[in-house]
Amino acid sequence: MSVENRFKEIVSQYCTASPAELHGDVRFREDLDFSSLDFMSFLGELEDEFDVELEQDKIVQIRTIDEALSMIQDLQEVG
Amino acid sequence: MKNYPLTAAQNMHYRWIKQYGTQQVSGLSIVASLQDELDFEILKKCILMEIQRYGCMRVQFTKPDENGNINQYLTKGNFYDIPLKDLSAMTMEKADATMQGWAYKTFDGDDIPMMEIFMVKLPEDYRGFFLHMDHRLIDSCGVVIMTNDIMSLYTHLRFNSPMPDDLADYETVLQKDLKRASNEKRLIRDKDFWDDILDKWGEPLYSDIQGPMILDRAREAHHNPNLRAADIELKDLFVAVDDYKLNVKSTKQLFDFCQNHQISMTNLLLLGMRTYLSKMNNGQEDISIQNFISRRSTHDEWTSGGSRTIMFPCRTKISPDTEFLDAAYEIQSMQNQIYMHSNYDPALIYEEIRNRYGTPENTTYESCYLTYQPMPVKMENPFLKDIPMHSKWFANGAATKKMYLTVSHTEDGGMNFSYHYQTADLNDKHVELFNYYLLKIIFTGVENPGISIGGLITSV
Repeated sequence: MSVENRFKEIVSQYCTASPAELHGDVRFREDLDFSSLDFMSFLGELEDEFDVELEQDKIVQIRTIDEALSMIQDLQEVG
Repeated sequence: MKNYPLTAAQNMHYRWIKQYGTQQVSGLSIVASLQDELDFEILKKCILMEIQRYGCMRVQFTKPDENGNINQYLTKGNFYDIPLKDLSAMTMEKADATMQGWAYKTFDGDDIPMMEIFMVKLPEDYRGFFLHMDHRLIDSCGVVIMTNDIMSLYTHLRFNSPMPDDLADYETVLQKDLKRASNEKRLIRDKDFWDDILDKWGEPLYSDIQGPMILDRAREAHHNPNLRAADIELKDLFVAVDDYKLNVKSTKQLFDFCQNHQISMTNLLLLGMRTYLSKMNNGQEDISIQNFISRRSTHDEWTSGGSRTIMFPCRTKISPDTEFLDAAYEIQSMQNQIYMHSNYDPALIYEEIRNRYGTPENTTYESCYLTYQPMPVKMENPFLKDIPMHSKWFANGAATKKMYLTVSHTEDGGMNFSYHYQTADLNDKHVELFNYYLLKIIFTGVENPGISIGGLITSV
């Protein structure tokens, strides 16, 4: 399974949207109703799933599906 | 049957049982009833179905091994009786007192069911069920899910409403939790986060709602003028409960503030509590409060039952010239990082503290505990929505915590501040004062977010 598909599969476990509905501009808090706890737990799961370490100061800038996915893909390339 | 170790959240309760010497500290009880001619035959069938659907209800524990550790396993759950208890001839007050007595009972033994359910016939034609369960099997969110599911099964069988969706499998979610907790990279990341706080700020410092005299008392008892932790009450665990309501208009004011400034209610409450503790302890800047986290985010985590709630210390060092809103953001930043590391076992945080600073046994750095419960305790079932309901949480009668505040929402849109406190040291006046200042601090800050914390402490 591609990183993008697996990523969207994980997101869909935290909300009512299906992976197919998770377009790049969908926002975690405003559109998917993520709470702070949901969002941070989700990021922790991403770290474990994709074996990356997110940087605290970059986390706060993540608003959308695309932004989170790009961050994971960038970190995987560096790793 | 496969055996599994306890999760960090379950171990938290198990450690309290061992530390305080009674399973009573791990009791959780509720009554849920409707003013309706509920059919007890159908209700009994629903409860038995629920025991099959909601795996956490079938969890039992093995005998402790030589190190005192226990395992958990799921039984088939074919042997539960659901007796009917008739309290209808009593007043509601007397019926509540009777159920309160049931809530004090303990589940003592290994390889035994850790829960019991009675169907109850209550005064004023209320009918429903009383649940008494070990906290290692379920938490308050889990109880709400279970209650709604039982009533959905009831309306399915009674009124032919749709059969409720399946609940997530307890064992599958447990396995995922245990796998994640044993991920070495995750463990290192979590440990680094907590260790970094100690590297930055050193040993935490106790703060009490009664002021510095409690820490002074501990320093004398331990013959250590530099002690930074205070003794835990281990003998007199009797708990009292006082509730205070916040009206709808004031509640809305808080919510509007939270929404406008993107602050969560938990963090606003933590700020209010830590500011009061600072006020009572001569402006102490380094304050730690235990905050409970539900750890329910995915669909499966929400509906699998189990005890997922776990507490972590929210430690902040806030100088008096910090503005109220900035202080709220400081707490929010700390809490967000804690959320990311909430799979960690909090016992490991204290193990590290003990190793570094030699903290004496049975002492603590926190006097106050907070749970913010955003989920209303009501049956959200369209077939039952107009039927009056009587529900109540019962204290287990033995408090491990000096003062434990649960903030929840009331059905009218207000909020309820429920204080469980050890009567060994505290009385209703302490709690009344705490609640008064907590709200005064929060509302003063909400109305003037630019006020400094020092100015706020002086002004209230």
